[in-house]
Amino acid sequence: MRAPAPRYAANDGVIEAAKAALGDMLVEAKDAVGEVSLTVVREKLCDAMIALRDTPGLEYQQLSEIAGVDYPQRPERFDVVYQLLSFTRNHRIRVRVTTDEEKPVPSVTDIWPVAGWLERETYDMYGVLFSGNDDLRRILTDYGFQGHPLRKDFPMTGYVEVRYSEEAKRVVYEPVSLAQDFRNFDFMSPWEGAKYVLPGDEKAPAAPVPTPPVKEAKTTDTPAQTGAGQPHPGNQPGEKPKDPDVVPTKGEGQNK
Amino acid sequence: MGVELSAPPPAGTLPDVGFLNDINAEISDKGFLVTSTEELFQWARTGSLWWMTFGLACCAVEMIHVNMPRYDMERFGAAPRASPRQSDVMIVAGTLCNKMAPALRRVYDQMSEPKYVISMGSCANGGGYYHYSYSVVRGCDRVVPVDIYVPGCPPTAEALLYGVMQLQRKIRRIGSLDR
Amino acid sequence: MSDTVDKIMERDIDPATGDTSIANYTINFGPQHPAAHGVLRLVTELDGEIIERIDPHVGLLHRGTEKLIEYKTYTQALPYFDRFDYCSPLAMEHSYVLAVEKLLDLEVPLRGQYLRVLFAELTRICNHMLNLGSHVMDVGAMTPNLWMFEIREDCLNFFERASGARMHSNYYRVGGVRQDVPVKLLNDIAEWLDTRLPQLFGDAISLVAENRIFKQRNVDIAIVSREDAIKWGFSGPMIRAAGIPWDIRRAQPYDVYDRVDFEIPVGTRGDCYDRFMVRVEEVYQSARIIKQCIQDMPEGPVLTLDRKVGAPKRGEMKQSMEALIHHFKLFTEGYHVPAGEVYVATESPKGEFGVYLVSDGTNKPYRCKVRPTAFSHLQAMDFMSRGHMLADITAILGAMDIVFGECDR
Repeated sequence: MRAPAPRYAANDGVIEAAKAALGDMLVEAKDAVGEVSLTVVREKLCDAMIALRDTPGLEYQQLSEIAGVDYPQRPERFDVVYQLLSFTRNHRIRVRVTTDEEKPVPSVTDIWPVAGWLERETYDMYGVLFSGNDDLRRILTDYGFQGHPLRKDFPMTGYVEVRYSEEAKRVVYEPVSLAQDFRNFDFMSPWEGAKYVLPGDEKAPAAPVPTPPVKEAKTTDTPAQTGAGQPHPGNQPGEKPKDPDVVPTKGEGQNK
Repeated sequence: MGVELSAPPPAGTLPDVGFLNDINAEISDKGFLVTSTEELFQWARTGSLWWMTFGLACCAVEMIHVNMPRYDMERFGAAPRASPRQSDVMIVAGTLCNKMAPALRRVYDQMSEPKYVISMGSCANGGGYYHYSYSVVRGCDRVVPVDIYVPGCPPTAEALLYGVMQLQRKIRRIGSLDR
Repeated sequence: MSDTVDKIMERDIDPATGDTSIANYTINFGPQHPAAHGVLRLVTELDGEIIERIDPHVGLLHRGTEKLIEYKTYTQALPYFDRFDYCSPLAMEHSYVLAVEKLLDLEVPLRGQYLRVLFAELTRICNHMLNLGSHVMDVGAMTPNLWMFEIREDCLNFFERASGARMHSNYYRVGGVRQDVPVKLLNDIAEWLDTRLPQLFGDAISLVAENRIFKQRNVDIAIVSREDAIKWGFSGPMIRAAGIPWDIRRAQPYDVYDRVDFEIPVGTRGDCYDRFMVRVEEVYQSARIIKQCIQDMPEGPVLTLDRKVGAPKRGEMKQSMEALIHHFKLFTEGYHVPAGEVYVATESPKGEFGVYLVSDGTNKPYRCKVRPTAFSHLQAMDFMSRGHMLADITAILGAMDIVFGECDR
């Protein structure tokens, strides 16, 4: 590893030890970008976590983090990713289960109480259910929020915005209306990957029209041909644009 | 580093000497001054703008800095108060989120008249860096009426100090604002 | 007569003892409270003055940053990290740039690594000044806070001289730092470490460290055992105060932390006073690290010379067509990061600040999950404050060092 990222104990032998400890609970184990990640069977998550915590040679004592990831094209669209840390072996490992909107993930709050809020957050952001977490309320989003904002099909600007209403004398929720849309660029080269018609191209005929052959070779234009140097209409002295964009402030400015 | 004190202050920032001399002369001549109560109240208000500590996010740190010895906002009579009932001006410092908006309005409603609002930083002015987020109010003027907008992300302590001085100027000019 | 009063008050009288049984009552602490350190709402259930249960409501500063990051390029997403923990902006950037570098497998010039460590430690001093000062102020002392903010002002001046911004520096880049610092700045920092910092900080701490009132309000408040600290996911000064010598800078060194010499302060009782004193000692250790960085820093580039990631210099762009093209590509499209996922955690002033970054091979992160330090600490608030008095909440919160920018994101 050339990058100066945190350097913890080597990954050698961790996958073998995890395979031995987890047995058929393990679906997949891989070592990529210098980090070990295990995929386990969802129903047996708690057993797998206890094995990872208590087996000598693994000893992952602390749960650092639970993260959800959304892959909408998969049948089980959500990954729930647990980051474990071993103080004694100075090593980190990642455990992953997959789920969808309905199948609940077993809660690990009995093993690590810190999981309580982390699971609440994953539920709030993705709508993943956790069975065994008896306090599965929303945590970060607004009181009475609808939807799960970090799902890929949730729009970035959401559905509602708030405003104080003088009539109702309270803060009211209204559908979002933006003064200017978010500008999102796809950075695809129009010559290579783009799958859309560029603005203006739809006017062009579908089949390429052969360009007419050049009859006369084009020579350098003279000023008489191009009109360069001639006074432009609307640019004459004393002429003003019809609808000026900027109206100068009357008087001495607004700070007076 | 620090504040340079050897150079004289730039022109235009000194108090109007002629005006002060006139007042002095009038007092020593007659022993009293005549003014309207409204003007007296306005003058008093600009000198004691007690502000409500409504720190929401990053800007709150700069808001604390402006009260600390280096900038010392209390020399302008602007002192922090923790209770809305005692304060005249609310500095909305930071991103106002949907979940916080009712609380902000409730605090504003509790303040006694006349009351002023300074919106501090891009997020409070118009959403700023978080404008397109699903949970951010795009400008705190959607919830409370704002008198002074201080730009910046976050505005430096000097900028907020200047904003408070602008508010004092605004009060002197048009008195208490009708809502 | 008293029967009538009881009837009016609807009191329940215990038939066995004849005492009036009093129901617990619930009070709401925040979201606007000067000692809440931001926008925290605590729903507190009290038996008289004794805390029975606390339900912290967070999310009042939930800005949806993780969603916004998915729509920005890697370079555009960097300033969001300044705004997570706004008391220690550069430490947040540090985790993020290390995570992207790990995905890119990018080498960073040594001077760039030294500069990052230097400014991360300066940030630590800056953060601890705010936290120690406000903790002291919350339990009743005013003067130390005023002196410590003077140190913070100095730190902000140094950030401004290096990056142009007082708070949100946006100084680190994937592959190093934005620009080199002038020699005069390094000299000034070294001089400041020898003169102003020990004087101001020593004076401020001498007022509270042995102060009887301060001790009465902090010693034996919210004791956390080692087992609890591990189970509740503590990190940083909180776990060190509980007696576990765990510091990611030492255990899992990143950048040049394996080349500098420093010590890890550890608490013995795990109470609020220990947390305070651990932070006090960390300030001195940070000063030591900064001095070593200034001494050992080699000459050379500060940003990677891989022009597919690091932007070329302005002067270069005026000479070289290739540099101009690189600049244009980097500031419109950005760079593409190979597909993969990493979890990179660094020792931020508040604890383990981690970034879980999933890349799908494009120029924008597919998912960027932030591991906030405050989340696990604040969650433990319930069991830490149970049985204490209502007034102890401020001391516990102050010693916890929470900031809502990163807690709510």
